[in-house]
Amino acid sequence: MSLSTSRRYKLLRQIEPYLFLAPALIVIGLIFAFPVVRLVMLSFQRPFQGEMMFVGLTNYQAIFKDAVFLQAVRNNLTLLISVPIMVSIALILAIFLFDRIRGWQFYRTTLFLPYLLPITVVGLIFSYIFQLSGVLNDFLKVVGLERFILDWLGSTKLALPTLMFVIVWKEVGFGIVLFLARLMSVEEELFDAAKIDGANWWRLQWHITIPQLATTIEFFTVVSIITILSWVFGYVYVMTGGGPGNATMVTELFIYLTGFRYNQMNIASAVSVILLLVTGIFIFLELRLRERSTTLEEVS
Amino acid sequence: MNKTRLILVLLTLVSLLVACAQPSTSVPEQPQQAAQTEAPAQPPAAEPVKLVIWWWGEQEAPGAQQWLDETIAEYQKMHPNVTIEAVLQSTDSLIPAFQSAAAAQQGPDIQYFWGGVWTLEFAWGGALVPLDDLIPAEERAHYINNFERTYDGKLWGMGWYLSGNPMVYNPRLFEKAGIDLNDLPDTWDELIAACDKLNAIGVTPISGGLKDGWFGGWLFSILARQNLDSEKDFMKASIGEAKFTDPAYAEWWERLHQLKEAKCWNADINSVDYQQGQDQFVQGKSAMIFGNDTFLKGWAEIIGWDNMGVMRVPKYGSGKLADTYVVTAQGLGITSWSKHKQEAADFLMFTHTPDRLNAWFKYTGVLPADDRFDTAQIDQPILKQIFDWVVQSAGPNLENFIPSMLDEQANFTGTQLLFSGDKTPAELAQLTEEVIQKWREQNPDQLQNFVNWYTK
Repeated sequence: MSLSTSRRYKLLRQIEPYLFLAPALIVIGLIFAFPVVRLVMLSFQRPFQGEMMFVGLTNYQAIFKDAVFLQAVRNNLTLLISVPIMVSIALILAIFLFDRIRGWQFYRTTLFLPYLLPITVVGLIFSYIFQLSGVLNDFLKVVGLERFILDWLGSTKLALPTLMFVIVWKEVGFGIVLFLARLMSVEEELFDAAKIDGANWWRLQWHITIPQLATTIEFFTVVSIITILSWVFGYVYVMTGGGPGNATMVTELFIYLTGFRYNQMNIASAVSVILLLVTGIFIFLELRLRERSTTLEEVS
Repeated sequence: MNKTRLILVLLTLVSLLVACAQPSTSVPEQPQQAAQTEAPAQPPAAEPVKLVIWWWGEQEAPGAQQWLDETIAEYQKMHPNVTIEAVLQSTDSLIPAFQSAAAAQQGPDIQYFWGGVWTLEFAWGGALVPLDDLIPAEERAHYINNFERTYDGKLWGMGWYLSGNPMVYNPRLFEKAGIDLNDLPDTWDELIAACDKLNAIGVTPISGGLKDGWFGGWLFSILARQNLDSEKDFMKASIGEAKFTDPAYAEWWERLHQLKEAKCWNADINSVDYQQGQDQFVQGKSAMIFGNDTFLKGWAEIIGWDNMGVMRVPKYGSGKLADTYVVTAQGLGITSWSKHKQEAADFLMFTHTPDRLNAWFKYTGVLPADDRFDTAQIDQPILKQIFDWVVQSAGPNLENFIPSMLDEQANFTGTQLLFSGDKTPAELAQLTEEVIQKWREQNPDQLQNFVNWYTK
């Protein structure tokens, strides 16, 4: 009897931590795992006479034949051009601000401000600015630069670059603050020593600032790639709606339209799975970078 | 391990699982199954009933909110056990929100729908019940445009109000340009001649906005009809028994291109949205719009009835639809998961009582979708004209009879590409055909529904 009680006690001791963990695991499972599993299942199914039928890779084959989806992927890839632009601009501005130019605190706040604005607000404002009869073209007319008046959002050739400009304008502030925060934590002695050794401004940046910022640059680059791949819906939806003529269609908008406008939830699920996988790779990369960054900090 | 702790943990787990348990989300019922819904044997219960309505309409019929609030208040006064909650949806959330509700089989008891395919897609998906068992036949017979919501011999929604597409013009600008108000343009050549005259005085002839796409669908519905005889012709092309590249279907692209070449349209049509395009007319910047008659009262409050006139869309084709006035009934349906279907139907019938029909017109200036409406109330000549067109020559809104993918990827996108100069009319007809072929490949189930709809 006492042996049995002891065994039971031991068993309970063993499972107790799992019981305490269970509520959290169930919640996480319901919030994260279940939707993902459901999404993957839907991507292999299609409705037929009121039943969901397993159709294998049919939905995936369909999307890779879909010209609009391929256009969306091309546009996402084109938008990736904005990543090096964002990184470069953020880096240059952060270095200038770190040099404590006159009014640097004001500039820092001003440059970060766009990042704090809601995307819908930014999209609406820039829609009015870039319309053919918008503020920018009115300004160009007033200053006598009529030949530069263009249909920034209404032309299939200009709409995507215009969108890219707005994304860079809004997102670059995050990079500046990130770089600046890292630079603030670099020990002053490093710069002082280099100056004593006769390093000029360029050499200081090349040999100290950029190496010190390396992990932060990597981090910002990966975050920006994720943003471009899966967080530009708001800009596109508000500013162009994916047009003109799919010129600014992106995968997120394609998913939304396919699922909610055309009632093709299964095809939308297949695209979502692909987007999730691609984004997942970059999220994994970001986690690895963060891990490496922490290790480096601990070592130094 | 402390027994109390163990019991507490287990209790937490159990309650968590119970809280998270959801009703079965099996595949929604098919219309055939939903059609078996029987009317309750007894009259509506006096027990507390809560009805939820998700609606849209204030956006195109200003005053609808006021009317609905008043209607609900009156109904609740007559039925103290009934509480009605009305949730106004935005244009963009109307369909997605209901799709989510349909997937979860939870949501409103009464849902707003545009006509045709916008209603029937949900009927096919099992989210709606037919009204035949809930509303008596003699009552249903009064509703206008029931054909838009009829499938398999059953009525899947109730028309609420009518929304038509006249061509609206500014008589002052017409006179200034030398266009005879007693001889308005009624052929394509005359329309282009009018554009020339208006351009000569520096006025944009017609304004529109394509950025958000919707106006492209309107242009399709208003212009593509002219060589064809019925909405069935467009369903026929959708199911593959005709081609959108056939001259009768494709000519509208050429005609729209002619208007573009004749500088009939605002130059910024691709960079402004639908509303901004319409606003240019109200602001006096353009002389004409392909308008919506639900907005007439609102525009008149800004610019006055004297500064507006309505005319039929000039003709280029000779199909029966060329002589029709585009009109659709925006409507309401009862959801398959509603626990109070009969009560919901009773409320819908209440909205069609003479007092409510007349109040609707008073608040909105929009015609209700019911032939019991007292037409003596229409004292505005422009609205009388609209009413005459509705009575004498109503024709379908074609967007309601094609798959939404075709509308979006061919009409929305195609009109943008035409105005940006990236595609020719022939290429756009080809694009339309490619999109419909893709839709047929990707949606065998929907295709079968369309085939049934077309053949029955």
